[in-house]
Amino acid sequence: MPDWKPHLQARLEALNLDPGRGPDAIEEICAHLDDRFHELLGRGVSEVEAVSLALDEMIGPTQPRTPRPLKPTSPGCPNPKRAVWLRCGFKSIFDDGRFAWRGLRKAQGFTAVALFTLALCLGANLTIFSIVNGVLLRPLPFPSPERLVVMYNSYPKMGRDRGDSSYMNYHTRRGQLPAFAEVAALREDAAVVGDAGTTEQVHVTRVSAEFFGTLGISPLLGRAFTDAEMTPTSDAVALLTHAFWREHFLSDPAIVGKTLRIDGVPKTIVGVLPANFLFLSSKARVYLPLSVTADTCRVENLHNNGVEVIGRLKPGVRLEQAQAQVDAHNATIGRTFPFAKEVTAAGFHTIVAPLHAEHVASIRPILLLLQAGGLLLLAIGLVNLVNLLLIRSSGRVKELAIRQSLGAGRRQILQHLMMEIFLLALGGAVLGLALSLTGGKLLGQLDLHQLPLSPEVAWNGRMALVTLLAASFTGLGMGIPVAWFHLRTPLASAIHAEGRGGTGNLAAQRLRHAFIVAQLGLAIVLLFGAGLLGLSLKRAMAVSPGFRPDHVLAGKLSLSKTAYSDDALRANCVERLVQAATQQPGVGLAGITTDIPVTGSHRPNVMTIIGYTPTPGAAPFLHEQYGVAGNYFAAMGIPLKEGRFLEPADSARPQRVCVIDEDFARTYWPGRSALGQRISDGSDTRSESEWFTVVGVVGAVKQTDLTDRKPARAIYFPYRYFAMETVFLVTRTTAASESLQRALQRMVRQVDPELPLYDLRSMEVRITDSLILRRSPALLSGIFATVAVLLAAIGTYGVLSFAVAQRRKEIGVRLALGAQPIQIQHQFLTLGLRLLAAGSGLGLLGAWVAGRAVQAILFDVPAIHLGTLGATVAIISGVALTACFLPARRASQVDPLVALRTE
Amino acid sequence: MQDRELKKGSAELLILSLVQQQPRHGYEISKLIELRSRGELRFNVASLYPLLYRLEKRGWIQGRWVEKAGQRRRRFYRLTPAGRKVLPAQQHAWLAFVDAIQRITSCDHA
Repeated sequence: MPDWKPHLQARLEALNLDPGRGPDAIEEICAHLDDRFHELLGRGVSEVEAVSLALDEMIGPTQPRTPRPLKPTSPGCPNPKRAVWLRCGFKSIFDDGRFAWRGLRKAQGFTAVALFTLALCLGANLTIFSIVNGVLLRPLPFPSPERLVVMYNSYPKMGRDRGDSSYMNYHTRRGQLPAFAEVAALREDAAVVGDAGTTEQVHVTRVSAEFFGTLGISPLLGRAFTDAEMTPTSDAVALLTHAFWREHFLSDPAIVGKTLRIDGVPKTIVGVLPANFLFLSSKARVYLPLSVTADTCRVENLHNNGVEVIGRLKPGVRLEQAQAQVDAHNATIGRTFPFAKEVTAAGFHTIVAPLHAEHVASIRPILLLLQAGGLLLLAIGLVNLVNLLLIRSSGRVKELAIRQSLGAGRRQILQHLMMEIFLLALGGAVLGLALSLTGGKLLGQLDLHQLPLSPEVAWNGRMALVTLLAASFTGLGMGIPVAWFHLRTPLASAIHAEGRGGTGNLAAQRLRHAFIVAQLGLAIVLLFGAGLLGLSLKRAMAVSPGFRPDHVLAGKLSLSKTAYSDDALRANCVERLVQAATQQPGVGLAGITTDIPVTGSHRPNVMTIIGYTPTPGAAPFLHEQYGVAGNYFAAMGIPLKEGRFLEPADSARPQRVCVIDEDFARTYWPGRSALGQRISDGSDTRSESEWFTVVGVVGAVKQTDLTDRKPARAIYFPYRYFAMETVFLVTRTTAASESLQRALQRMVRQVDPELPLYDLRSMEVRITDSLILRRSPALLSGIFATVAVLLAAIGTYGVLSFAVAQRRKEIGVRLALGAQPIQIQHQFLTLGLRLLAAGSGLGLLGAWVAGRAVQAILFDVPAIHLGTLGATVAIISGVALTACFLPARRASQVDPLVALRTE
Repeated sequence: MQDRELKKGSAELLILSLVQQQPRHGYEISKLIELRSRGELRFNVASLYPLLYRLEKRGWIQGRWVEKAGQRRRRFYRLTPAGRKVLPAQQHAWLAFVDAIQRITSCDHA
């Protein structure tokens, strides 16, 4: 029998045994090894091999945890030194912590300024970061969200880079493209929900049967839609969102199978969606089937865009593969499209893009720039604090030198200093986090809910981690220069210099000055950036929308197909609405339009101009199109340029008429009158009686937003001929609009009790809302810049004051020897000016970079706007010189007697 | 089933179950685990004995030396009344865990 004991002794540590077990454990394991040894022999393994195998298996690869050193149980423990060191290390850190805490409490002013600066700078960064996190970083709440894509139809040569897709795109792609696991279509819509008299307008999304499967979610209750429910005769089903279910049905668990009246039709509720379900930024409360008639699936409708098509890639499929398959599929299907030549001329292609990235594409540069602004602010704050810390440690040179002479090593001194800095950093980070969480409410002013994915400033694991990282980074940022200063300064000579009352350490002074230069430079960059954004906002706000927005109140209505089955019924309802609104006290003029300006929404289309031959190969122009009724133009304040407005009688005339805007007229009939020209809203093969004759030319309005420079080339039809379901009631009011809102809603209910009037806002509010992506960044960067300028002023003042205090004795001697106070003042002002000049140079360089960086989101402002740059430098110079002037004047007022006596 | 975490969670339960019927010694326990799991689970000395001692320290099993002529003496472990009480709870928790894992993994998303 082999003797296992020596082997076991050699492997004792790896065996993880409780040392208290002692020889018993060894004996037990020896028995185990005996058994194993015999078993191996029985299998024909040689003795030597059996011993080696049995020993090897003891600590085999399947051991569940890594070996851990034995607990010290006797004085001869394996590693007593380490334990003592750890204990001492912790004790010294704890002692330093306590000492630093006392020191910070003693220097209350310094601590308050430092914490305030850190809280402000870190708070700003954490707030922006939480938005960046919510919008850009957090993955979409679906399984494998990286495989979700969206498909757009793009017609770049027609000025339409990103458009919707058509139902036909979805219909022909599903099941046909091997790169995709699923393809689904959806359309945002609105519907009237509830019984007559208590109806309300809710956002709904109409989705194809694969929608929820594509996203990878299943309903909480009931089931998703089926393919069979996608026709107008079988689509009387609905899926509720969790919130709608809770609010309208008090979370009734037996909801499935009950009915809900939607657009006047009872629909069977087939399911309830999970509580956290949110598709991108959708406001939908109810999901309905995207039902279509067989007519929709004709090739003529291939470019009848109006739905969003999303897809889920199969695992391992790359975006380029999917894109290639979609391109090839488009080419095949497109051959049979009757206007293939035109869409080819328009540069048609489909873009397959990641769903998340695409959804936040417009806000990404803005958020990243704001974060960059926040980091600049943090840099300024840090520079400020480092200067304060350097000044503070200069004052403590004596204390530290004494500690060193009493035996403290350099490491201990540094550890002591760093502890103070890290305490500050941590405190600042916690305060900053608190500020950002409470300040997050202030951001309500910035209309966060209007941002994609509705981010909110909230405490979560990632925020905690980032706060900790920010604290560490801040600690290092402040600690490294201070450590550098101390490592370079021989303390003994420092005491000597201090005692002699000289000018202090030259290196430290240079460092302080360099930091002031950096701070002024950074402040210029931030202020210039904020100035550019502010100017850009101002210019955008100054753009004329093309109508008079004052005193215009507009609300939305949906004339559903179930209640108003044909164009004539809708036209009739619209007429009654206009009449009733006009008679409403407080309303001067009233009209109806199918689309309202500056809302971002638009549905451009191509038109055929009779007698106009397009340049061969050129893409056709896109036209905004509206159906209008009543006194729409006058109510909206759109000016008449030529001819006349549309009249109620135009709907009944045998000859169809329309009004176009000046962009339209200029495009086709430059230099001559457009009146009497004829336009067809389809191909020119339509019969002549369906052509529209131009009877008026009106001013152009901004349809998508104020900064859209693309000509609208709008055409206005009598509502009868463009009777869309969604219409806006537009009123020019003479009374206060708040009191009128309820009156208008009542008035609409009188015309049709099932018809809610919603989204009632004045046009001025709509314009303001449309500028959110310009206003919020401008406002935030303005706040950042203000803080930055303030910090720069405090920093400059602090360093100059310190310089004056340090040189009091020298100033006293010079004054006693006959120097004029004004000379002393000049000396310090000159120092300030030198720092300012260097800072401005640096700032101008930074401003050039910053201008380039923000250029993409500027409107009508060049990247290097000299006026803004001049004003920025002037403001910073004014502030910095004021900050210099106070210490300089104090220097000139030094009393030589007092200064020398303190020696 | 080679996953470390899974094994760690299940190891105690395995040992308690094996000594439930009759007292067994360490080698026997390790062999039974290997046999009954058809080789999927294996415990080596460095993982088995610390675990046995831990369970013994907790009072869930108790070891007793048994001497036989011509052989080394062996330590046999049996389930204590305290261990007998713990075992159903452990079994229950384990089944719930397995059930939960199954429910999660059997749901096949597109």
